[in-house]
Amino acid sequence: MAAEEQSHKSHRSRQAGPSAKKKKQQQKSDSKNEQRQNPKAFAFNSSVKAKRLRSRASEKEQRRLHVPIIDRSIGEPAPYVVLVQGPPKVGKSLLIKSLVKHYTKHNLPEVRGPITIVSGKQRRLQFVECPNDINGMIDAAKFADLALLLVDGSFGFEIETFEFLNILQVHGFPKIMGVLTHLDKFKDVKKLKNMKKVLKHRFWKETYDGAKLFYLSGLIHGKYPKREVHNLARFISVMKFHPLSWRAAHPYVLIDRFEDVTPPERVQMNHKCDRNVTLYGYLRGCNLKKGTKVHIAGVGDCSLAGVTSLPDPCPLPSAAKKKGLRDKEKLFYAPMSGLGDLLYDKDAVYININDHFVQFSKTDNENEAATQKGKDRDVGEVLVKSLQNMKYSIDEKLEKSFITLFSRNSSEAQANVQDPHEASENLSSDKSQAGNEIEPEGSDEGSDAEGLGGSESSEQDTENKKDNTDEISNENGNALELQPTVRTNLGEHIEFHDGRLRRRAIFGDNDQNPEDSDSEEGEEDENDGLDNQSYSGSDSDMEEEDEMGNASKWKESLLQRTSSRQSANLMQLVYGIAKSKSPTSVGSKQQGSSEDDESDDEIIRPKGEGRKKSSELLDPSDVNVEDCSKLKNKADTENWKENEMLQSIRDRFITGDWSKAARRGHVSEENNEDDDGSIYGEFEDLETGEKYESRESNDTVQTEADPVAEERRLKKLAKRAKFDAHELDEATRVEIEGFRTGTYLRLEVHNVSYEMVEHFDPCDPILVGGISLGEENVGYMQVRLKRHRWQKKVLKTRDPIIVSIGWRRYQTTPVYAIEDQNGRHRMLKYTPEHMHCLAMFWGPLAPPNTGVVAVQNLSNNQAAFRITATAVVLEFNHAARIVKKIKLVGYPCKIFKKTALIKDMFTSDLEIARFEGAAVRTVSGIRGQVKKAAKKEIYQPKRKGDHPPEGIARCTFEDKILMSDIVFLRAWTQVDVPKFFNPLTTALQPREQTWQGMKTVSELRKEHDIPVPFNKDSLYKPIERKRRMFNPLVIPKSLQAALPFASKPKEIPKRSKPLLESRRAVVMEKDEKKVHVLLQHLQLIRHEKMKKRKLKEKQKKKEHEAEKAKEDQLSRKRQREERRGRYREQDKLKKRMRRNADD
Amino acid sequence: MGKTNYMRLKGSQNLRLRLLLSTLSSTPILIEDIRHEDTWPGVRPHEVSLLRLFEKVCDDCVVEINETGTKLKYKPGIVVGGKHFVHDCGVSRSIGFFLEPLIVLALFGKKPLTIRLKEGLGLKIESRGAPPLGGGEVVLTVPTVHNSLTAVTWIDEGMVKRIRGVSFSTRVSSQFEHAMIYSARGIFNRLLPDVHIFTDHRAGPQTGKSPGFGISLVAETTSGCFISVDTAVSHGREEETGDLGDDEKKELIPPEDVGEQMAAALLEEIKQGGVVDSTHQGLLFLLCALCPPDISKVRVGKLSPYAIETLRHIRDFLGVTFAIKPDPTTETVILKCMGSGVKNLSRKIS
Repeated sequence: MAAEEQSHKSHRSRQAGPSAKKKKQQQKSDSKNEQRQNPKAFAFNSSVKAKRLRSRASEKEQRRLHVPIIDRSIGEPAPYVVLVQGPPKVGKSLLIKSLVKHYTKHNLPEVRGPITIVSGKQRRLQFVECPNDINGMIDAAKFADLALLLVDGSFGFEIETFEFLNILQVHGFPKIMGVLTHLDKFKDVKKLKNMKKVLKHRFWKETYDGAKLFYLSGLIHGKYPKREVHNLARFISVMKFHPLSWRAAHPYVLIDRFEDVTPPERVQMNHKCDRNVTLYGYLRGCNLKKGTKVHIAGVGDCSLAGVTSLPDPCPLPSAAKKKGLRDKEKLFYAPMSGLGDLLYDKDAVYININDHFVQFSKTDNENEAATQKGKDRDVGEVLVKSLQNMKYSIDEKLEKSFITLFSRNSSEAQANVQDPHEASENLSSDKSQAGNEIEPEGSDEGSDAEGLGGSESSEQDTENKKDNTDEISNENGNALELQPTVRTNLGEHIEFHDGRLRRRAIFGDNDQNPEDSDSEEGEEDENDGLDNQSYSGSDSDMEEEDEMGNASKWKESLLQRTSSRQSANLMQLVYGIAKSKSPTSVGSKQQGSSEDDESDDEIIRPKGEGRKKSSELLDPSDVNVEDCSKLKNKADTENWKENEMLQSIRDRFITGDWSKAARRGHVSEENNEDDDGSIYGEFEDLETGEKYESRESNDTVQTEADPVAEERRLKKLAKRAKFDAHELDEATRVEIEGFRTGTYLRLEVHNVSYEMVEHFDPCDPILVGGISLGEENVGYMQVRLKRHRWQKKVLKTRDPIIVSIGWRRYQTTPVYAIEDQNGRHRMLKYTPEHMHCLAMFWGPLAPPNTGVVAVQNLSNNQAAFRITATAVVLEFNHAARIVKKIKLVGYPCKIFKKTALIKDMFTSDLEIARFEGAAVRTVSGIRGQVKKAAKKEIYQPKRKGDHPPEGIARCTFEDKILMSDIVFLRAWTQVDVPKFFNPLTTALQPREQTWQGMKTVSELRKEHDIPVPFNKDSLYKPIERKRRMFNPLVIPKSLQAALPFASKPKEIPKRSKPLLESRRAVVMEKDEKKVHVLLQHLQLIRHEKMKKRKLKEKQKKKEHEAEKAKEDQLSRKRQREERRGRYREQDKLKKRMRRNADD
Repeated sequence: MGKTNYMRLKGSQNLRLRLLLSTLSSTPILIEDIRHEDTWPGVRPHEVSLLRLFEKVCDDCVVEINETGTKLKYKPGIVVGGKHFVHDCGVSRSIGFFLEPLIVLALFGKKPLTIRLKEGLGLKIESRGAPPLGGGEVVLTVPTVHNSLTAVTWIDEGMVKRIRGVSFSTRVSSQFEHAMIYSARGIFNRLLPDVHIFTDHRAGPQTGKSPGFGISLVAETTSGCFISVDTAVSHGREEETGDLGDDEKKELIPPEDVGEQMAAALLEEIKQGGVVDSTHQGLLFLLCALCPPDISKVRVGKLSPYAIETLRHIRDFLGVTFAIKPDPTTETVILKCMGSGVKNLSRKIS
């Protein structure tokens, strides 16, 4: 403690020296500053500056405000989709694996399809790897909630990242986060730091300032460092997701499970028949109502044959109800990756057991069996193995053997086949078996697949014999066996296309039902199949239980039951008995039948109102009369003059008893609660006397300008958007508001083409988006489009482009246009270089304000930037109103005073009639108008017998025109927008293959080696103007006579002989001659002198210049020398000074 | 995409509603058996006129009627709207027949609509006309909704605070109006002092072509609800079918009785409760169904048959089902629905 008390020598500040001087100076400046520190006094030094400051402040204020977004989602949200995107070989899968490992402590062998994991108490995430092709990127951008953009730090940004960013920005910008990988390639720390900075700023420039860029420094044991993954996970976990406008208005499902449920016999009949598939996934966006049409990205529009909600396969820890003590919390669900343990649905129940937990006796299959045949094996082992290899369960075998007892009992067999349960079950078991059998066969599989048919089945047969299923040899057995063979063929087909062996083997299993991807579990599957019915039965029970909650809530349920019964009655009366219309039967709804339902009236009408309503209710003859919308109540029957009648409604007027009226409202309100349970969520438990207050208050409208309050109000509005669970029974609720977001749905789609199943690739996520009203229609859409600045070429009108609008992608041929000052849409041949233009194209309609991204080239091996343009939908029309300029050219064929007949402008009189009154103009600028088609009499043909040509128009001008004039008619003509669109069916073809649609003209030209056609007349040539010859001016005699003398043309008569002056010869005198000669001589001499002098001067000048050049050179040299010396001196001086300074 | 899936419907009833909903939900419809068993089968002139009106207001809508007129194909286009439309309604139905669907339709137009409905049996504004010859004219101006409507919770019917009304007469003495007003006020004044009924006596060219008179009454409540009734009395027009028009030329009901009847009808409507009168229930439901996907909640009196029909059609076209619950103490019905989220798609963004 002594140390604390120990006092140090206090610091003495310097009184002299440079540091003291410095301090003094500082103090001086400080005191100056102090003077200026009164902000009020110096706030308005400059009024301009003040104004600027004020405007800036208000601008900032305004920028803070934005339209509040209504979040209509109720309950627990669906897992957020974390999309991992990046160019190939950047570490996407590894990142997902690391993250999954971090969250679930499980090693993920391979990333295929969406992987749902529970990341926290209140949060689930779904990891999806973005495919590398542009179609996959576009689709992925539509469902991603958070996009992790992986960038190879050692390489820098790649074009895919920028493409993806552009796609994201168009389709509503979800959250993004950049992740730099491969940073261990940098050896130099400084370089690394620099690179990080450069990349960060480039990333910011592309997105927004302060966008998070995460660094993954390298690999440890082939994984990203734990600490960094942990940090990344924390970043993800705090991410807030805002609803995006398109997605909030449309339901969508990211498919994480895919099944083919086509009746096997149909597939057997025709391998290429249309399939029925079921798609599973969480519902996102908004509620999905029954009867909604959907668009499956890459496939097309489909109507849903069935939608059922399933229990959440990956519930939140809080929401999950414990079914048993042994039930572990399921932390992840990834059926396509073969993860997740238990799975049950309508068709079957699947159990997946992780490889680590199971001792497989069967892993060494025929493969080893074949090699080790020679070695003697344990009898028991062989027995077990043979049991495992069994194709059919004992029950089935018994059944079949039963059939064999009564030989040729084909009807039974038929029934057997028809039963979808059994069939599918057989199938699944068979398939898993088949998969095992196929595996070892290796590469000769491909050729087999081509062979299809007989050889394969025979092979199968031999294998069957090897298994001990020999009892089945009759027809029935064969019929049953045929299905699996077809299925295996199908599997192989895919594999054959896939090419890669490793992937192929698993793919075959995973294709149709991913649950049994652990193909070794044939037995398990069968067992599950048997349990199926019981499971599904109990399932619904559990759901009911869920609603009721715990036991104390039974009163509620009672109440609810009664109330729902009542309401159901009214609803039944209005809507008829049929509870739910199936979406398929929407079209064939018949109106007439529903009218008959209103026979019993007591139930709809509250008591006392059941008077003679039934007679008023529609009788069919009534429907067409006037005023059918009016309810003719027989008011005259009641005498409103009577006092008691008036008294009965006295309280409905403000002159009545207000308190009573208020009570009336209140009573009704309370009653409301009594009978419908919880419009407001309030109710009273009569037994305990407890009152349950609602959380929501009833105040509806707050008119506050405060944006925060406004936002709150809107949130509240959204909160209101739910029916309480107790209020209606589940079926009615679904009927009314549809399936809620966040539920796990099973969508059944019928009649999709078989390619979807065949070319299904779990690595390519399937997006199913709901189509709202009016969006399935096709029409013209007008978009405001801008060519992307990185796109090298301008786009040409009518060249096909691929656009992605809403959920859809399709190819279409736009016509570009620009809006003129007067609102006219003028066609453009090419898009402007750096400007927005309009584009009009034909296709399925999307609501205004939807973003559009246009692509021209889908191929992956293209080096250039693939996004050609971005756009936004302005409006849609059913008619395209784009015009282009047209110039009709004609020549006068006959000129009257100011009227002329113009030929060659029109081809027919009908055409002229169309253009009557149109303005014309000559080249010289004389304006005129088209009058009518010329009468035949006016314009006679030159020769007899010629038909008077059609299309000669009579035009009048403001002045007389010349025959040499050319007459123009400038007009606008409608441009047709091609009615063409072609949906991209990328999911119906192998993924590696580039989708080929309509080609551009230039592509076609290149392909067929056709030169660009050119019009000779369009070329520029030197203009040749013929000199115009004018006839001499002739003045008529009469006019001449009238002219004054000065203006009269003077006529000088021609002379017969030349004048004397021109005729005479000049003869000189002697003296004169002398002088003349002398002068001539003198002149000659002078000329000669001058010539000589000039020559001399020239030479002199030349010499002088040469001299000067020499001198110049010399002087320059000298100067240089001088300079050099001077610099040397200076340098020396500087050095010396520096040395001095150093000293 | 090439072939369109028509929604098949039967019968002639609720054509207005069907056309309206078809256009709003852009669902093509095919109506069969339009009065196929009548003496005069097929569509009526006023229905044809209605179709013409739809064609006028919409862009690129396709109407096909078969030869007998018993089958109608309607493929909706885009509601365009705009100014300076004139439509000749004919005299077989009142202008109200055309007004009702138009009001909702024009809300979802590309541009605000201004239309002049002519020649009909108008009740309003430009000039009035009574059956059988008509001669009324109405100018209707409807703005467009910006993006979508907003959901309402409207269950408080309030207390009646004032009653307003307009009586009109064409080609009859203005004494008729006074008689009506007098008798109506006789009933109302015992309940409420704030009753004003205006007269609208037309003269000259504005009177239309036939004699007639009528009255419309509106009760306004403290919570802002309007409950209305109206009627028009004139010599009936000969119905083409003949089954409706009576043989003898009926004498017109005396105006005193009309006033009394209408006053009684209004009181009856008030007694029933609900935030709208029985005539406009359907309209209210329709607007609720067109809201964004939020919950609307409204209270009405007894469901009128027309309202029930409207509910069914809304279910069929828009997929919106209402949860209907009676409220026994007040003898009203509370309806709740989740809007279909119809947006004004045709509006152009700038």
